[in-house]
Amino acid sequence: MEEYPEELRSPPVRLVALVGCPELHGVISSHLHTQQPPINTLALPDLSKLSLLIQNHHHPSNSSVGGGILKRDWLVKHRTKIPAVVGALFSWDHVSGDPAQWVQVCSDLDHLKAAIRPRNIKLLVVVLLHSEETSEDRLLALRKRAEIDAKYLLLFNPDPSQLNNSLQRLGDALAELATTFYRDEGRRIKARIEKKSFSSLDLQVRYCFKVGVYAEFRRDWVEALRFYEDAYHALREMVSTSTRLPPIQRLLEIKTLAEHLHFKISTLLLHGGKLIEAATWFNRHIISYKNLVGPPKVVFLHWEWLSRQFLVFAELLDSSSAALQSISSLPVATAEQPLTEWQFNPAFYYQSAAQYLKEKRSALEFAVSISESFNENDDGSAESVVPSIYVGQFARLLEQGDDLATQFLTDEEYTHYAIAEGKRFQDSFEIIAFFKKAHEIYSGRKVQRMCSRCAFEIAREYFCLGDFNNAKQFFDGVANLYRQEGWVTLLWEVLGYLRECSRKQGSVKEFIEFSLEMAALPVSTTGTIQSSQCGPGGPASLGQREMIHREIFALLNGESRLVSLEGSNDLKVPGDNNLHLEIDLVSPLRSVLLASVAFHEQIIKSGVSSLVTLSLLSQLPLLIEIDQLEVQFNQSECNFIIMNAQKCPLQADSSGQHDHRMESAPSLALVTNKWLRLTYDIKSEQSGKLECISVIAKIGPHFTICCRAESPASMDDLPLWKFEDRVETYPTKDPALSFSGQKAAQVEEPDPQVDVILGASGPALVGERFVVPVTIASRDHAIYSGEMKINLVDVKGGGLFSPRESEPFSLDSHHVELLGVVGPEGEDEPDKIKNIQQSFGLVSVPFLNIGESWSCKLEIMWHRPKPVMLFVSLGYSPNTNEINVQKVNIHKTLQVEGKNAISINHHFMLPFRRDSLLLSRMKPVPDLDQLALLPLHETTILVVSAKNCSEVTLRLQSMSIEADNDGTEKSCSIQHGGEDLGSAVLVPGEEFKKVFTIIPRADASKLILGTVHLKWKRHSGVEGRSGLTLMDAQVLTKHKLPDVLAEFSPLIVSLDCPPYAILGDPFMYSIKIRNQTELLQEVKFALADSQSFVLSGSHNDTIFILPKAEHIVYYKVVPLASGSQQLPRISLTSVRYSARFQPSIAASTVFIFPSKPHFKMAATTVERLESVVAD
Amino acid sequence: MIVCVAVVGHQNNPLYIQSFTDADDALKLHHIVHCSLDVVDERVNNPKRSGPTLNETFLGLLYPTENYKVYGYLTNTKVKFILVTTDLDVRDVDVRNFFKRFHAAYADAVSNPFHMPGKKITSRTFAERVSTIVKSFGFSSAG
Repeated sequence: MEEYPEELRSPPVRLVALVGCPELHGVISSHLHTQQPPINTLALPDLSKLSLLIQNHHHPSNSSVGGGILKRDWLVKHRTKIPAVVGALFSWDHVSGDPAQWVQVCSDLDHLKAAIRPRNIKLLVVVLLHSEETSEDRLLALRKRAEIDAKYLLLFNPDPSQLNNSLQRLGDALAELATTFYRDEGRRIKARIEKKSFSSLDLQVRYCFKVGVYAEFRRDWVEALRFYEDAYHALREMVSTSTRLPPIQRLLEIKTLAEHLHFKISTLLLHGGKLIEAATWFNRHIISYKNLVGPPKVVFLHWEWLSRQFLVFAELLDSSSAALQSISSLPVATAEQPLTEWQFNPAFYYQSAAQYLKEKRSALEFAVSISESFNENDDGSAESVVPSIYVGQFARLLEQGDDLATQFLTDEEYTHYAIAEGKRFQDSFEIIAFFKKAHEIYSGRKVQRMCSRCAFEIAREYFCLGDFNNAKQFFDGVANLYRQEGWVTLLWEVLGYLRECSRKQGSVKEFIEFSLEMAALPVSTTGTIQSSQCGPGGPASLGQREMIHREIFALLNGESRLVSLEGSNDLKVPGDNNLHLEIDLVSPLRSVLLASVAFHEQIIKSGVSSLVTLSLLSQLPLLIEIDQLEVQFNQSECNFIIMNAQKCPLQADSSGQHDHRMESAPSLALVTNKWLRLTYDIKSEQSGKLECISVIAKIGPHFTICCRAESPASMDDLPLWKFEDRVETYPTKDPALSFSGQKAAQVEEPDPQVDVILGASGPALVGERFVVPVTIASRDHAIYSGEMKINLVDVKGGGLFSPRESEPFSLDSHHVELLGVVGPEGEDEPDKIKNIQQSFGLVSVPFLNIGESWSCKLEIMWHRPKPVMLFVSLGYSPNTNEINVQKVNIHKTLQVEGKNAISINHHFMLPFRRDSLLLSRMKPVPDLDQLALLPLHETTILVVSAKNCSEVTLRLQSMSIEADNDGTEKSCSIQHGGEDLGSAVLVPGEEFKKVFTIIPRADASKLILGTVHLKWKRHSGVEGRSGLTLMDAQVLTKHKLPDVLAEFSPLIVSLDCPPYAILGDPFMYSIKIRNQTELLQEVKFALADSQSFVLSGSHNDTIFILPKAEHIVYYKVVPLASGSQQLPRISLTSVRYSARFQPSIAASTVFIFPSKPHFKMAATTVERLESVVAD
Repeated sequence: MIVCVAVVGHQNNPLYIQSFTDADDALKLHHIVHCSLDVVDERVNNPKRSGPTLNETFLGLLYPTENYKVYGYLTNTKVKFILVTTDLDVRDVDVRNFFKRFHAAYADAVSNPFHMPGKKITSRTFAERVSTIVKSFGFSSAG
């Protein structure tokens, strides 16, 4: 588009001229320029300049040329030289001045009129006046003189307050006149067209073009478009009719003009947003001129022209915002409208422009070669050729003295000139630029295939230019797409180029890679393309593949050298450093060599040999012989090398420097598409994962291919070959292994040869240090750097022990606690690792030789009864002391139940046959009845019983009540027998009781009695069981006694009678009532009769008891029946407290012997305070 | 005249591509077929633009090149048929008719129990049938 002259590229702008009063020209022209639509201004200081400007064009400079369709400078002339209106500015002073000035004004006006009349240029007279006073007569005279309408005589006031107004009026008048001028001019020429008053088609084209331009001046786009199209059609008719010029130049002129007209039309259409019309018009334009190729010598001109059409349209589309907006709403191609969406994409036109430019280049090369062979000597004739005054014509410039004359060219001369011109330009860069532009647009719209097509073309251009770096970069991208989509023939072509690039760059490795890839491409005989246009890789065929294969392997074996085109640097495999290729899972070279490795077993025992199958597949067209295969594993000691027995049978001893295993295979030849299967033993000493990493094939002296091992079960198909219809076989003989085989296997650790014995039995008792003896006995393994881990885990919930939130009371943070580990007696090594936490322990185990054993004891304490799982795991190295040797682990678990050993209970008793009147008990108060009520200053008996609820015999050491604080001493006194219980042995289920007396001393509402402390230990009746618990480990079990209430008792009733009686033998039964108060007490009593007794004494009475006095009621009683009999029961009523109470039945029961018993031991004293074993 | 027909699989890999020219432009035709896949993608991915062609297998004119016209057809199994012709004035009916017959030939070829789905079509019968269809292009439309 830049090649076009400026006047063609932009829409025409109206032109006016200003004459006189030059001081105002600046203001006016800048005002006019900002008008909408703008107006350009020719500012002429005086009149003579105008006539010079206009008249200059009345003399066609050279009439010797036989004419043309359109003059080259016509458009620029109307845009820059010929104004539509002349604005003549006069000062009022001059107009209204003395007669001499008036005459001057008149003569100026006459000159002006004379100058503009031939061109029908409109006149506008402007009178500058600085004051309001005007003379109508003078103005009228001026108007008459100028022969203009009244409205085209303007008064202009440059005073700042009036300036804008004046400028506005001036602008409007100028615009109106300009429009009139262009309309009149257009009409004038249109009339000629309508009357068909032209002699040739040339003129019709010219007229139509001019009308179009005038319409554009008026911004009448519709009319402009119509006349441009008319011109275009008329021009197309001229192709066969015009004879004015020799044929080549005639065609050239027509095409050049068609190009201009087409440009105008396209611009107008796109400007109006008519995208579809523009594209359709372009299509028609190309179709109608496509076949006007011209003579073969200048056919390159045609291609150049076509290329330019596409380029210009592409640029127009590219810059047109309409194209971008409406592209999504375009209708699909239909029969009537044969357009596709690509025809609205500038990239398509850029691409085509580049294609045609390529055509042009090849045509030009052809033309150059012909012209050089024909006229070698004829030079210089092309130098004086210049564009002629007509559009699309060339002429020879002749110098005749000072004069310049132009002369016709013959076609021969023109051809010569055009070829010489063509040779001056290097088209390649433009071609690359166009393709890059298309590439950019396509890639922006993610149209990847078109994009890579462009990239391919760019790369090819670079390749032709010898810029191999750039070429390779583009080729690489293209090759990736073709690989991905499996377009083998296209990939072959690209690879051919890439191979050539690397050959020319001297990159051996890449050359070999590309060659191998090409050789392994699935190009079969059926799909062969025999095309002369194929790239440097040659035609894609099986024969070519085989040729490349042979070439490469000859090179690799050092049999041949590859000569790059430069010749200076030979391509050869460097002798000193090896050539190494890597093939990974995504490499395109997978079809060259594919290695699949399958372990026959998924789980192997450490140290036990297993089988592994290695399968190799190649798609190279010819057989390849591998010298040596190295199989590498992640455990490098498992690596082994397979030698080809045919090729190098003697090398086995020379390679003794490797500490790898050497194997030998009878043949390592790879046939096309046939698996080479090799099965070998494998043995790993190290547990964990054993994975085959890669297989390295060595071919020839310096060439190795490292191929990543793949599992047959998860192996992808070969990317390109998977579309081929070929015989597919399994990589392993056993098809099941092919579906499930993995390149990795799990190596199990060796079986432990050490016993770990947890020697605990029976449940653990809460509170004791429970001991679990652990014995480690080595059977067949010595133990090095052994380490024992101990873990306590909750059986139910899992995880470590911690207090639950629902059990806020906890003696310790853990209910079960690992207290420590005690080694064997006398052994206390300082370097022993001991890391004991509450539920976890780590203990190091000393070195143990085979047959030795070691033991230790774990001490665990339960704070709560619950079952616990004890995990003990021993890790050790069986062989050496090295650190990174695989460890052997043994795990043992033991569930231990934690139980309460002893349950402690208590109850309170009053002394026998002695009752206290406790008023609170008579009238129970609800909130106090939970607490036991004891009489103040009276003895109360507390019985504490401890029951063995475990399954082992316990020995009790002592039982005592310990005060919780000092205050207890004051409030009550507690007495009991000796603390030491001697050896009270409690078999399971047995109960032990101890009696305490309590005398409350203080009238406290609440009496804290203290805690029962019971010390016990396991009873080890047999000394052999001493290992279970520590002998001296006393366990203290505590039992908190409840708080009690002490209350003053006003009356105390004691019954007194002998411990037994004899039938018929009378005895005394006395009831002692003691008044403890300071008050006189009135007490009523009543005695109920009993069948078993006859009694003497009052049945009921009311007695008064003095303060602090005692009253005794006596009865004589005779028992009438034997056995345990109920004495007559007395019931007392205290009047003062209105409280009634009766001694308990047990208290008033006495045993009656039938006759006097005879005891061997006379006079057994019954002590009140003694420890008894109940039952 | 039809210069090239192609069957393209759903990974955009060529399953069958055959050119019918004497000229040395087979490679160029491969390029054209490959590029036309972009247009097929575009049409398939932007169905709004092909409103009336919803559920229509015939994709219409895909791609204008300087000398060729490329037509496309998409089967229900996402296999694409591409036709490249040098005729600049082609009737839609003819192309549709061609694709219909071509589709039938393709369906018969892949129904062969020895044909592996997704692999290239190597059947000689298919190739013969295709060349018959290609030769009769444009003539059979009258019937």
